Formats: sequence, C-alpha cells, structure tokens
Amino acid sequence: MIRLKTLHILNKPPEHRRYALCLSAIGPDDGLLLTENGVLGMTQPGAIAGDRLFALGPDIDARGLAGQIDEDQIVSFDDMVEMTASADNVISW
Amino acid sequence: MNTLIIIDQAPYGSWEGREALDMAFSLAAFDQPVSLLFCGAGVNWLRKGQNAAKVQQKSVERNLAAAPIFGVDVLLAEGKACHQYGLTKSDLLDHVSITDFGSDLTDRFDHVAFAG
Repeated sequence: MIRLKTLHILNKPPEHRRYALCLSAIGPDDGLLLTENGVLGMTQPGAIAGDRLFALGPDIDARGLAGQIDEDQIVSFDDMVEMTASADNVISW
Repeated sequence: MNTLIIIDQAPYGSWEGREALDMAFSLAAFDQPVSLLFCGAGVNWLRKGQNAAKVQQKSVERNLAAAPIFGVDVLLAEGKACHQYGLTKSDLLDHVSITDFGSDLTDRFDHVAFAG
C-alpha cells in the first residue's frame, strides 16, 4: 500500500462545509479515504490524484456505486485499519 | 499518542460539541495528551459571560472551566473565526491561546478528530 504522510478520513457529503475544507488541507504526500456519505464524492471529478484517493467498499456497495469506481480505489475495513496504523498521522474530518 | 479534538459548531444548537468535550475529558482522565481547538462557529464556546439557564442547559463556559481539572491544558481558538465573530483576546475565557488552523498545527498531533 502507498506510503501516506497524513491520512484524511472524510465522512461528509460534498455539500458539507467540512468537505471543501478537507480537500484544501490535503498535502502532496497525503491520502484521502472517503467513508459513509463521503463516498458520494466519488461521483464528482477528483480533486486529488487517483492513486491517493480511496473509498470504503461497504459504503460504496450500500449506495450502489460499485460499478462506477476503479477497484484499486476501493478498500476494506481491514485495509482501513492498516492505512490508519501506517500513516504518520490521521485527521478524521 | 497526541490528540487534537476540534469543535467547529456553535454551542447550544446541538449535542455534538458536548460529546466531543466528553471525549477530550475522557482521554485526559486516562493521561492521554489532548488539546482542544475551537474553529468556525465553534469559537462561540469561548465567549465570557454565558448564561444558559433559560435554555435549560448548563453553560459550556462552566463545562470548559473543568478542563484543567481533567488535565486538558491547551485550549486553542482559530484567530480568523474569532475576528469573524467579534471576539478579541479579552472576550475569551482565560487560558485560551489564539492560533491559525492548518498543517503547521495538525502535523503536531498523531490524531485529529472533528466533533460530530
């Protein structure tokens, strides 16, 4: 898995004020993991590089988005735990 | 493990801020280093002279007065938001430090979590 400085975990839909704040805070070595209603952001043009953008599989499946998303960007709960443990720090937006 | 908890919601309108405060106090009670940052509408938590009796709540000013007892030593306020809500240093509770919100701040913590 790709090395991340800060892992940003974003669970808000794109209309939420914290969504834009989060995107503006992402540095070049950071990663973004979309969870809960945050995964709806995957239907919109990407704001960060695709190899550092991830979405939580169960939340993607729940919302019927699986067919629209690159499989490399979909992570499991176990992957999420691993990413959280290996990043230098984590911001839960 | 050094944690920053951020409250960006105004007091009294919802319970999410109080829940975050409980989380911070719990961490501190177990000797986990924790700081609190108030940003956006959250800076209104820090205004002196709150009286919430007639909205049937305890004032968050009184809740925050317990911070040093639990071992939460650092209360931070986002400078830009203070300016937006007309708060100067003398309007803020004692022991509040004004800061900017950005990676210079968040990089100092292992985990940063927003309320709600």
